[in-house]
Amino acid sequence: MKKFLATVLTAIMVVGLFAGCQADAPAETGDRVFRAGFITQAMSNESQAFSWREFQRLAPEFGFEMQVFAGENEPMVEVAGIEQCIALGFDAIFVNPSSIESVIPALMQAKEAGLIVGMFSSELPPEFHHLRDFFVGSDDFLGGVQAGEFVSEHFPDGANFVEVGGQAGHDAQIKRRDGFRAGIADNIIELDSQNSPTGWNTHEAMAIMEDFIVMYGDQIDIVWCHWDNGASGVIQALQNAGMHDVFVIGVDGNRTGYAQVREGVQALSVGQSFTNMAKQSLENARTMLLGGTVPAENIIPLDMVTLETIDTFVEPDW
Amino acid sequence: MTKQLHLRRTQITGFVMEYLVFVTILVLVIVTAIVQPNFSTAQNFTNLMRQFGPLSFVALGMTFIIIGGFIDLSVPGIISLVAIITLSLVDTIGEVGAMLVGLALGAVMGCLNGVILVVSGASTQAKALFITFGMSQLYGAAALLYTSGTSMNRTFINHPMPVTSALGQGMVGFLSLSFVVFLCFLFVLYIFQSRTALGRSINYTGGNIVAAELSGIPTKRIMVLIYAICGFMAAVSAIVLFSRVTVTTPTVGANFERDAIMAVVVGGTSLLGGKGSVLRTMMGVSLVVLMSNCMNLLGVQTHLQEVLRGLILVTAIWLDHRRHR
Repeated sequence: MKKFLATVLTAIMVVGLFAGCQADAPAETGDRVFRAGFITQAMSNESQAFSWREFQRLAPEFGFEMQVFAGENEPMVEVAGIEQCIALGFDAIFVNPSSIESVIPALMQAKEAGLIVGMFSSELPPEFHHLRDFFVGSDDFLGGVQAGEFVSEHFPDGANFVEVGGQAGHDAQIKRRDGFRAGIADNIIELDSQNSPTGWNTHEAMAIMEDFIVMYGDQIDIVWCHWDNGASGVIQALQNAGMHDVFVIGVDGNRTGYAQVREGVQALSVGQSFTNMAKQSLENARTMLLGGTVPAENIIPLDMVTLETIDTFVEPDW
Repeated sequence: MTKQLHLRRTQITGFVMEYLVFVTILVLVIVTAIVQPNFSTAQNFTNLMRQFGPLSFVALGMTFIIIGGFIDLSVPGIISLVAIITLSLVDTIGEVGAMLVGLALGAVMGCLNGVILVVSGASTQAKALFITFGMSQLYGAAALLYTSGTSMNRTFINHPMPVTSALGQGMVGFLSLSFVVFLCFLFVLYIFQSRTALGRSINYTGGNIVAAELSGIPTKRIMVLIYAICGFMAAVSAIVLFSRVTVTTPTVGANFERDAIMAVVVGGTSLLGGKGSVLRTMMGVSLVVLMSNCMNLLGVQTHLQEVLRGLILVTAIWLDHRRHR
């Protein structure tokens, strides 16, 4: 019986490894092949799964062989991933942890071991900037600001908004919330704000919106939702209540966001280009490994995806 | 006189403890209705019935697991995989066909959990906890591999989906269709649990598995059965979930096991196994859904909502311990 149990658990671990730790085919560039690890918070996060796909696709172009280490939102697993990259003698790591603070000691070790450290989509606090060689990502605060400015331009005479925030306490949720408030004009008034309590779950966003509709009804002009899949739930709640003229804004610029913008039920999706982030990260790491220098901060511009601009962007497939 | 007073106090305490969920629901409803008049509107009533949806089905399935003396953490994986596979099959085999495949898949995954528990000789909640957690990882990883981490939206599907639309938004009189479906399941499972020998065997197995085995109850088959029921109900939940929100991701089932266990235990089903009922679970689900709705309407901050949820779960477990010591 115990043997059977051990076999089952081993099988589960093997499948987990396939899902969470895969190496792509070696690069065939003719030049030196560099080895890099992508340490990400979770492959269950769609944007991270997509990022890893883009890293794999682009790695050969920049002469890299890559491996992913998915933390599944466990800081200790992310730390173990970094330590493993050091032990395996990797040339570079691209890190997007679930908890910035917990990986700091491991990043120190990586720097001491001479690895190129690139922060991917998540930035270290200023006092620890010396532990990374560069940061590549979009600015969640700026995303919030741009969304706020967009709203103010659209409602010059003022309007009321409710906020359906992302995962409570998440770095992106906090920055998007603060950025939006910094971007809106004084005549854009907040009616209420709630966050998804347990994750970036669509059904939680929908339940929050249903409750907002009960409380504020026609007073709601704008819904500022922190993620496009959440905006799907918001839109569904609005449609069920017969409220078709509410201005819904989401963040991500994923397939769902694009579809909703095209359909005319979402006014704006603030898009993050993970393709460009992966490309920039690989380019920076290669330049540094060949002895060059790169800017420490590489902010990838956010795409303002609206019905007017949607055809100017490459359709995402995540 | 003192003896009588003591007796009366004990009776009152016993009554309050037995019906604490009902009392809490009543207080919550009255306070919210007074503070927030919009609570008592027809629209909020409809919302509550719809919010009842996905969680209520999982909780019904989880009730049998907990009465049987076990636990099932594989629910998030099953919901995620069923939701993704069902939606992806709609264009190929049609809406009803895809739903039937999804339901069958849920039952098979549940069955597999039960078989693994039986074969591995797991007879305690602790072992079930680890094995089903592992299975959840496995099913979740399969959902991720199947979709490469991308989400699926109903708008990407070309085939018409009238059943899904009705399940998500339809009304039967003043009741939402998903709530009517829930009542049907509740009725069938209540009859199964209370009026059939097999249903009662689940209680005996959870009460004392050794004694149940000695009295000729096929405890191993019971284990497979309860996990199959839970898997099937998780699949129903997945279908109701994507019918409601129109989008699904490979992690859409996250945290459902937590709320389902909370609803079952808060309802009064004993974590020790052997005692409980699906009707009690309905009360537990009502409390979980109402609490969330009321706190949102009262403007309680998300972090505080989480604190209150945790407190209620701890209180329910403490009361369960007091009742059965």
